[in-house]
Amino acid sequence: MTTAVPVHPAQRFGANADRVGLGALIVASSCLVALGAGWVDGVLRPVVVLVFVAVVVGVLVLVVIGGPQARRLLAPYGLLQPGILWLALFFLAPVWSLLRISLSTKPSRFSVDYSFSWAFQNYSRAFGEFGTQFRHAFVYAAVATVFTVLIGYPLAYVIAFRGGKYKNILLGMVVIPFFTSYLIRTIAWSTILADRGPLVAVLNDVGLVRLFESLHLMNNGQLLNTPAAVIGGLTYNFLPFMLLPIYVSLEKIDTNLVDAANDLYSNSTRAFRKIVLPLSIPGVFAGTLLTFIPAAGDFVNAQFLGSPNTTMIGNSIQDQFLKQNNYPVASAMSAVLMVSIASLVLIYTRLFGTEDLT
Amino acid sequence: MSDSQNINRSGMSRRQFLAGTGALGALGLSLPALLAACGGGDGGGAQSLFFENWPLYIDPTEGDTLGTVDRFIKATDIKMTYTEAYNDNNEYFAKIQPLLGAGKKIEPDIIAPTFWLAGRLLALGWLEKLNLDKIPNAANLVPGMQNPTWDPTGEYSLPWQAGMTGIAYNIDVTGRELKSTEDLFDPAFKGKIGMLTEMRDTIGLIMMNLGKDPSTVASFDDASGAFDKLEKAKSDGQVRAFTGNDYTDDLVSGNFAACVGWSGDVLQLQKDSPQVRFVIPEEGGTRWADVMVIPKGAKNTDAAAEWMNFVYDPAQAAQLSAYVQYLSPVSGVQDELAKIDPELAGNPLMFTDDATSSRLRSWATLSEEVEAEFDAAFSSITGA
Repeated sequence: MTTAVPVHPAQRFGANADRVGLGALIVASSCLVALGAGWVDGVLRPVVVLVFVAVVVGVLVLVVIGGPQARRLLAPYGLLQPGILWLALFFLAPVWSLLRISLSTKPSRFSVDYSFSWAFQNYSRAFGEFGTQFRHAFVYAAVATVFTVLIGYPLAYVIAFRGGKYKNILLGMVVIPFFTSYLIRTIAWSTILADRGPLVAVLNDVGLVRLFESLHLMNNGQLLNTPAAVIGGLTYNFLPFMLLPIYVSLEKIDTNLVDAANDLYSNSTRAFRKIVLPLSIPGVFAGTLLTFIPAAGDFVNAQFLGSPNTTMIGNSIQDQFLKQNNYPVASAMSAVLMVSIASLVLIYTRLFGTEDLT
Repeated sequence: MSDSQNINRSGMSRRQFLAGTGALGALGLSLPALLAACGGGDGGGAQSLFFENWPLYIDPTEGDTLGTVDRFIKATDIKMTYTEAYNDNNEYFAKIQPLLGAGKKIEPDIIAPTFWLAGRLLALGWLEKLNLDKIPNAANLVPGMQNPTWDPTGEYSLPWQAGMTGIAYNIDVTGRELKSTEDLFDPAFKGKIGMLTEMRDTIGLIMMNLGKDPSTVASFDDASGAFDKLEKAKSDGQVRAFTGNDYTDDLVSGNFAACVGWSGDVLQLQKDSPQVRFVIPEEGGTRWADVMVIPKGAKNTDAAAEWMNFVYDPAQAAQLSAYVQYLSPVSGVQDELAKIDPELAGNPLMFTDDATSSRLRSWATLSEEVEAEFDAAFSSITGA
């Protein structure tokens, strides 16, 4: 006598668990984007929240009641879930809002609402009126990045290979100043560089002002409020972001390789060029990205150390957002900045990128 | 933001002192409150009040002399918070716009925008009416400031202080007295000139320098020359920075040789920094008022009325004026001040004589479109 063994629903589900997992991930992240970007309002909002909670709880329940096979298939989606949901809420939704507002117009000057109207003139304003500020941002950030490499690489090299038992103390000395607020450190520079501050007084006494003027480090006998001060501030503020990745990649290098090169009659310059430098390039690469990207969008250094003729795009965006209340143009400028940085980074990666990032 | 770079050391100590006395006061206040709580409370309940104002705009408690805020707390038992977070009209507007525009409340019960911004807030319907029945002293408002064009019934605003925009300079850096707005464009001060982010203050002075009158301005063309002159000065590197009320730091430390400044600020700074001077340029300066208004939805309107009544008492207003040294909107202050400090009562920068008044102009009210045009042109220069 054969009785049909009833298939347990959990078993039936087991075979399709991966599709369920993928579906749940897509539904849950769409819910978050819809909420974050404001696609739904009124009564729909609680409904979407409920759907989101139901999907997440549902997946958890399936993991608990499902068999081992279901669990194995669900695992990758479960592990992806926190990251994807985070990106949906804090990256996709804001970027979507940004792009939408950048193509909107304000119905009236002091309105808090924006109406979407494919307003591409916001982009032509962003390009047309703020070209100088974009140029300042990229040039200052690039120069500052070069300086952080020039300062950071030798420093990291010494700490990694010659630091000995003081290695941690030396690293600490690099990092500890950065426990103070970014703003305070930058404002402190504006006091140090002030016209009647200590540094200018020393330069005047020593008679180096002429030299500094000819090197464009000073203007009209001022250190503060010059392009050099802005670049200097950026270099100072972003140095640890360059130094630490380089240090990590140097630290990993097996010194036996250098010894082997020396054994094979390489001199130390050649050993550095053929062994240490190539192996530390991933650190320089990571440091460049960590320095250039935030430096290009920075506005604090130009605000406190710069003048009206050294404004960077970050200052303009801040001004449009926080003083002029012009969210559409500010959003268009932010979008242009994002796209230009992304393309620069992409080109850079193609040219110099390595597989091994760090 | 850059308040923290304040070089004005005694200013810091005054503030610290105020904080200290505030803490002591709080201790003193909390004891009776604790006792009252034990006694089962009489239902009176301490009222509170929050006034957000510009920096350098009130007399702090110094030693045994109580400042206006502490005198008010002592007289009324109202728990008052006074902050100096108002640095720039446009910046402050941008901060409150998303809230008030969406029908939400902002924290302060009283703010003191400059008259033109108060007019905008009123036109947008973002202000509460003052409870004038509870402010009998409002009758002391000087006649010339009653019922301004932007608040014709005078029901929404009471001036906090009025003042003048002129040239502030640091004589240690300039090496000479300044007389004219033209001095701001002197190549000798290249890179050492400050301009205000307040469009009306900066452009107003330059317009008068060019022989135009801001009190009759009707279209952008009337002022375009002033914008061109400012643009040129900025690209030549003449202008070091466009600042809000924080220009005082750069002026005292000598980063600015000269800048566009406000009369009372400079007179206050002189107490600790005698090298700082103020002058109404020979081409003329502008006159303005910052007015107390109650933002829509504010909780403590009664306490706000009590405060306004308090500061419109000539005896109280005189003590305030003795410190801030702006033009007081309260009549009778000059007589009261003569009792405290006869010299100040004769200061032409506080009580303008006819000759000075004739050199001052107030900005005309700009229509919304014209104002938008002015603001756009100005923001493209200030660099943003």
